[in-house]
Amino acid sequence: MHRLKVTVRVLALLVFGAFFHYVLPQHDVVKITSTEVIRTDFSAYNRIFYAQADSGGVDQPTRDLRLINTDKKKTFLLGFVPRDSTGVMVYRNEDTGWIWPPYFKFDSSDLQAEAARIAKGDEWAVITHYGWRIRWASIYPNAIGVRTVASPDVTIIPWVSIVFFGFLMVALAFIRAMWRQFRERTVDPLLESAGERVDEVQAGVAKRKGRLSRWLATWRGKDKPSQK
Amino acid sequence: MGFIKLVVFGFIGLSIIYVSIAVYSKSVRRERLEDEFDANPPEGADAAARDTYIAEGMAAYHRSLRPKLIGLVYVVPLIVVSVIVYVINTN
Repeated sequence: MHRLKVTVRVLALLVFGAFFHYVLPQHDVVKITSTEVIRTDFSAYNRIFYAQADSGGVDQPTRDLRLINTDKKKTFLLGFVPRDSTGVMVYRNEDTGWIWPPYFKFDSSDLQAEAARIAKGDEWAVITHYGWRIRWASIYPNAIGVRTVASPDVTIIPWVSIVFFGFLMVALAFIRAMWRQFRERTVDPLLESAGERVDEVQAGVAKRKGRLSRWLATWRGKDKPSQK
Repeated sequence: MGFIKLVVFGFIGLSIIYVSIAVYSKSVRRERLEDEFDANPPEGADAAARDTYIAEGMAAYHRSLRPKLIGLVYVVPLIVVSVIVYVINTN
């Protein structure tokens, strides 16, 4: 039972961790090499990793997808430990629209123009993005912002994640307090009164059973069970 | 239309949160009034006096600023969404 509990908790932690890692913004230090547009045919299993059609457009089974090709500084430990080596990284550039994930991004074209301008020079840039690059399913992280930086050794503080997790802690503590209050004031009194009623019924049954078994015992022989 | 969906479902979701917080806040206040009365009951107080005390306390609570502040549940997300829209979509 204990092992099962631990397993469920670890699984829940992994699922939520992966979910937040996908959805929360991350920052990469990159050199943008080019921008391009490819036609994309979505499949059933990679469709959910793409946004809907551009805000104001119609959703079609096939559409063009803006990509930003970069040379990215590699990191260890989810970006916390920088490394000297670089590797290629490709970002998609799509509107997230009004629903999910809640970045409310409508400026893909502007972002693409900005990326193209940066690609002309030889500047380092910080790309803010969410999502994963999964090569075997042709899934790209979605770039949501880009700014140029003087050197690749910039310190980036993930304010959005800090604020988000702070808020999450407060919200969870609040929900816990609400639940405890609800249980103390509403559920427990209900259970108590129900418990009392059950006790009454059980007492009644026991009394009747006692009468019946005493009557039955009068029909038994001399070796009748001793009455308690 | 994504925007309409956001407004409709956002309103429903925030309403659930609003009602939960309003009920919780009322419950906490009522419990505090009960505890206050029980800790220091006036001479010869009966159950009716206790009920009056709590009813008066709850009426004062409904007149106070606190239940109105729960309306921020609707205001704050609106501001947050507006700020995100502005920050993300300006260069």
